[in-house]
Amino acid sequence: MISRSCCILKSVKNNSVTLLRQTYKSDCALEKIYPNSNPDPLQHVEFKDTKFSKKAIEGSFSGYVPIDQLEIKYLKSSGAGGQHVNKVNTKVEVRFNVDRADWIPEWIKPKLKENEHGKINKEGELIITSDKTRKQLLNQADCMDKIRTIIFKASIKPKEPTQETLESMKERLEKARREALRQKRDHSIRKQLRQTSLNDF
Amino acid sequence: MSYIAGITDKALKLIASMPRVALNNLKGLPGSKKTFQRRRGREKGSKHGRGDKGQGARMTLPRLGFEGGQFPFYLRFPKERYYEGHHMKRQYPPLSLLQLQRMIDLGRVNPDEPIDLTTLCNTKLYKCSPEHHHYGVNLTDEGIDIFQAKVNIEVQWTTENVIAAVERNGGVITSRFYDIQSVMALVNPEKFFQRGIPIPKCKLPPEDAIEYYTDPHFRGYLADPEKVAEARLELAQKYGYEVPDFSKDPLYEMLKQKKDPRQIFFGLAPGWVVNLKDRVILKPKAQEWKEYYHS
Repeated sequence: MISRSCCILKSVKNNSVTLLRQTYKSDCALEKIYPNSNPDPLQHVEFKDTKFSKKAIEGSFSGYVPIDQLEIKYLKSSGAGGQHVNKVNTKVEVRFNVDRADWIPEWIKPKLKENEHGKINKEGELIITSDKTRKQLLNQADCMDKIRTIIFKASIKPKEPTQETLESMKERLEKARREALRQKRDHSIRKQLRQTSLNDF
Repeated sequence: MSYIAGITDKALKLIASMPRVALNNLKGLPGSKKTFQRRRGREKGSKHGRGDKGQGARMTLPRLGFEGGQFPFYLRFPKERYYEGHHMKRQYPPLSLLQLQRMIDLGRVNPDEPIDLTTLCNTKLYKCSPEHHHYGVNLTDEGIDIFQAKVNIEVQWTTENVIAAVERNGGVITSRFYDIQSVMALVNPEKFFQRGIPIPKCKLPPEDAIEYYTDPHFRGYLADPEKVAEARLELAQKYGYEVPDFSKDPLYEMLKQKKDPRQIFFGLAPGWVVNLKDRVILKPKAQEWKEYYHS
């Protein structure tokens, strides 16, 4: 069976039917359906040309992570699972040096280090691990998701209260103080009225 | 003997002088077709075939299925809609990434050529039966972590994690629809060519499938190529791998190979007749046929 199929492969390789130049183009070809689109199926797209970069505000984290600057290791997961968990590297560890990461805006880094101080080692490397699923591919996706979540969380700028808010807060505070004084006075009068003196008799 | 020969000559001469057999001079055997009886006239009139008195004669017969008040047969049994229409639904028998890797490792499938339904059926390890409403390959995620092959594969159904597994090795995956006649041709091309009919043009997907095959996230063959490239980058960012630069790839020409939406076989166009015996391909010359097969 194997030798027969090998023969088939040999003949196909010699004839190279599949590498004939594609000359047939119907009315349903992609060039006709999408006339304004680049028809190359293997075209390369840079992140800066995608809709994600256009949505991102200048100076903030856009969500793009350069994978070649991350150090990815595959480890063995813990927990139950018998031979499979003992033998297969399904746990994924991703680490990068926070200070040397040029893809994170500088103003986010102090907050990031503060939030994740438990995950940063002495060399300043942030270590993210995941063994959530049974598949290494999905665990790697989980690590990427975690990285993005912590960076976005660290990049939340606390909102300054507006002038109106400050004024209304001040008013409420004064009102509360006035009310407290009034209640105090009332209570005092009530207590005084209960007192009796020798002059009353 | 000469007497019989004389009769034969006469008969043949008669036939030769007659017009050519056509639809307008054919007639069935007498009695082969029943004619509608109108029951009019002196003989057939009066009761007109309805018999004596009763509901039958008076046009007051109850509805079909009525059993005189007894709970009728057609209402006795409840409807069980669990499998309604199951015999008409499209099915995609699964092929796992593990099986595909095994086939490549054992030399059953050549990764240096584009892989499609025909390649997989030729191995005889994967079976797709169009008579059972099998419309092609469903690539599943079993063996996703060990998949290392770089392939240009064309499947009929797949999921996001499988696309990621194929693309991170530098491969190309496309979701492609074939109508049942095209599937029959693809599953056994030799048998199809022996029929001697022209290669049909592949039909577009039906309504319920068009959304999937125009979706760049599933690498649909009818999706916008620019959006597919964007989706490729998006997926790479999601799963944590770098999108390879295909222009520097030595297998660039092979990975670039894609069939036209109307094309079924690589290297062959719709309308061509492949003659395996004489080892020739016949192509239509008439303009109307060319226009039809290019539409």
